[in-house]
Amino acid sequence: MAKHGADEPSSRSGSPDGEDRASEDRSLLHQRLAVQELIDTEVSYLHMLHLCASDIRSRLQQLPQGDLDVLFSNIDDIIKVNSRFLHDLQETASKKEEQVQLVGNLFLEFQEELEQVYKIYCASYDQALLLVEMYRKEPELQQHIQGIIKAVVPQAGSSGLSFLLVIPLQRITRYPLLLQKILENTLPDASAYPVLQRAVSALQDVNTNINEYKMRKEVASKYTKVEQLTLRERLARINTHTLSKKTTRLSQLLKQEAGLIPRTEDKEFDDLEERFQWVSLCVTELKNNMAAYLDNLQAFLCFRPHEFNLDIAEGPAVQYCNLARDLQLEAFLKFKQRLEGLVWQPLCSLAKALLGPQNLIKKRLDKLLDFERVEEKLLEVGSVTYEEQAARHTYQALNSLLVAELPQFNQLAMQWLGQILRTFVTLQRDLAKQVLQRAEGSMAQLPHHHVPEPAFRKLVEDTLGRTSNQLHSFQETFEKVLPPPTTQPLLPGSERQVQALLSRYGPGKLYQVTNNISGTGTLDLTLPRGQIVALLQNKDTKGNSGRWLVDTGRHRGYVPAGKLQLYHVVPSAEELRRQAGLNEEPRCLTPEPVRAPVPSIPTVNQVIAAYPFEARSSHEVSLQAGQPVTVLEAQDKKGNPEWSLVEVNGRRGYVPSGFLARVPSPVLWGWNLPS
Amino acid sequence: MSWIPFKIGQPKKQIVPKTVERDFEREYGKLQQLEEQTRRLQKDMKKSTDADLGRWLSTCTTGWAAMSKSAMKISLDLLSNPLCEQDQDLLNMVTALDTAMKRLDAFNQEKVNQIQKTVIEPLKKFGSVFPSLNMAVKRREQALQDYRRLQAKVEKYEEKEKTGPVLAKLHQAREELRPVREDFEAKNRQLLEEMPRFYGSRLDYFQPSFESLIRAQVVYYSEMHKIFGDLTQQLDQPGHSDEQRERENEAKLSELRALSIVADD
Repeated sequence: MAKHGADEPSSRSGSPDGEDRASEDRSLLHQRLAVQELIDTEVSYLHMLHLCASDIRSRLQQLPQGDLDVLFSNIDDIIKVNSRFLHDLQETASKKEEQVQLVGNLFLEFQEELEQVYKIYCASYDQALLLVEMYRKEPELQQHIQGIIKAVVPQAGSSGLSFLLVIPLQRITRYPLLLQKILENTLPDASAYPVLQRAVSALQDVNTNINEYKMRKEVASKYTKVEQLTLRERLARINTHTLSKKTTRLSQLLKQEAGLIPRTEDKEFDDLEERFQWVSLCVTELKNNMAAYLDNLQAFLCFRPHEFNLDIAEGPAVQYCNLARDLQLEAFLKFKQRLEGLVWQPLCSLAKALLGPQNLIKKRLDKLLDFERVEEKLLEVGSVTYEEQAARHTYQALNSLLVAELPQFNQLAMQWLGQILRTFVTLQRDLAKQVLQRAEGSMAQLPHHHVPEPAFRKLVEDTLGRTSNQLHSFQETFEKVLPPPTTQPLLPGSERQVQALLSRYGPGKLYQVTNNISGTGTLDLTLPRGQIVALLQNKDTKGNSGRWLVDTGRHRGYVPAGKLQLYHVVPSAEELRRQAGLNEEPRCLTPEPVRAPVPSIPTVNQVIAAYPFEARSSHEVSLQAGQPVTVLEAQDKKGNPEWSLVEVNGRRGYVPSGFLARVPSPVLWGWNLPS
Repeated sequence: MSWIPFKIGQPKKQIVPKTVERDFEREYGKLQQLEEQTRRLQKDMKKSTDADLGRWLSTCTTGWAAMSKSAMKISLDLLSNPLCEQDQDLLNMVTALDTAMKRLDAFNQEKVNQIQKTVIEPLKKFGSVFPSLNMAVKRREQALQDYRRLQAKVEKYEEKEKTGPVLAKLHQAREELRPVREDFEAKNRQLLEEMPRFYGSRLDYFQPSFESLIRAQVVYYSEMHKIFGDLTQQLDQPGHSDEQRERENEAKLSELRALSIVADD
């Protein structure tokens, strides 16, 4: 690098004018030297950059590409910008008088580009240094690297890579200093002066911005990660330091809530944050709703009507099955796939992107509380510790980072959301088109496709009405598959019994047992299937019409009504007659009926017990068949005529009225039905 | 109900000609299958149109109505977000979407009603004949049992030595058998006539329902196509391919990731 020139000629002139002019000349010389320095250093700087980027980098082949990217970052872009800069700089050399002004203007022109390109390099410089450290720990690798560097840039010395990589940083920070030197040696009234001033502050700004950018990046990468810590890890993190931090923050917050200390109102940030929260809500809700929609779609796709075989070979049913299958396998499937790829996936990515900012906002609040406390302390005490200062800076970095980037985030998120929604709409339209095409295709093959919709609906209504009647008639037919009940065969030897019952009660009262009956209560009868009985009462004493009182000819008792069936006597009467005819002979052979000549016992309407009855309680009294009884009351205390109060054998009690018989004919003791 | 003929543990006396039994079996077997299919189909049809209006978030409701409802929720929630108040463009878009969804839901309701009337109820009616049919078949079975029992009795007496009482019993048994056999034959004949007729009736019976089903789809989807077609015109740039859309999504994601506040992963 060119150094300062030779000693300046000292002026011994005594006159003030001469002195002024001499100092003017001196300044001019220094100015020109400074400008020259700028240009010369730029040349060698660029040369060094080229060496790094091409020669050294290409020889470091054994390092992975990722490492090389981190080490050298965007050095190519820097070279591009600085090449142009140098070219323009060298052009100013011909402009003599105006050179300084042109140089100033050049810096102003390049300010933006320089900032853009150097901030990236500077931000990744720390990471590059980490890599270099890593390499240093591996002696072989380190030796190899050193060897390469030594061959290309001998003056790098033992610091090697780090010496080379820091050069762009040094350069960008040098610009303001170089410009300052030129400025110092420029006369305040020169036309170049204001330009130079602006250039100096511009380059200072560039450096400030680069630093800020770097700090933000660091802070962002520190806090955006949502760490997945286990509970144990979380616990391990708690130490006195973090605890005190948290308690301090909490007390700060409480003080604010209580109004003891003012809260830092930052309307700009609050508005931003609010908007961000709405954006978050929008994205999250949409994602959830879309998930529900997809679930429903999935469930809908499980319904497969075309898999049912109604055994109908042709016609609309087949059309429908084909249509349904097509829709399931093609139209809807494609819709689902597109939905997942073009709507669902982006929504998920968008939702994930929300996490970083959310985290930072939370952290900012924490740091804000720290910041406020430090501010307080500053006011009270006047100075703060190094840590407290760092906390202040962290808060400020976070805050400015968020203020700078949240608006962009919000806008990008909303734009994307809009895009996603529009895609959703288009997918629906495409689905409708697909289904419609196929459905119209099926419809064209239907018998009534030419019939307009209202007319068709009427047609269907009429048809269904007609077929409904048809179905109804089928139903009736099936219900009628039950011809009139057939007569059950009679139990052997029961014809006479039936005859007796018939003559006593008449044909309408005879019932046949359809199923074996086993009686459970003492008043219930046990009867085989086929037995004929006569109906006495079609309900029991409690009014239950499912239990009927019947007479078998020998016994009376209750049977379930459901097992009885009206008995058609007519055929059996013939039967009986025939049977009777068969049995006539044997009957003739029997001696005279047992009926002995009737003694002249007066005919009296005597009431006797026709059937045996077992008393079940003290209110009742037992009867033996044929026993004469005296009826005291033909009903019980409640007026129920089913029971009668009788006296028999000196005892009183209730018996079922049906068990009593009024016998007008001559009474015989031990009278029984002819068997 | 399983129809297992000739399994009562008695010697296989084929008193009913095999062919008759086979015919019956075949007819009845077909009908059983039909009943099963109809029942399943009816259940499924019902599921697909069952509008579970009260409980949105439930994932049990399937079918068109559920989808329609969840589509409506999308636009509803968007509309209620405060962002819409601030951003006119967003408000316009979301309002248009909401209107479209609501209209579509109305058409869906109509479709559901139409299908209820012309497909589900007829299916149900068809299915309701089966209980009567089954009862009739049971009665035939009963009659068959009686027939076989009495037939066995007759044969028993026929094999015995022809004494007086035996002859009397034989005669009686024959008399008992006759009406029962006639009863069975009547039932059998009747069913063999009616069952095929009933089974065949389904061809004509179901056709209008399926026609109706297809037409209902056409009506609904043409409305849907119109509604979303209009909406697309209003909102989207038509003609983007899927690849283009994917690229757009990628681009947006990269833009977001370029921000420092967005975490890289």
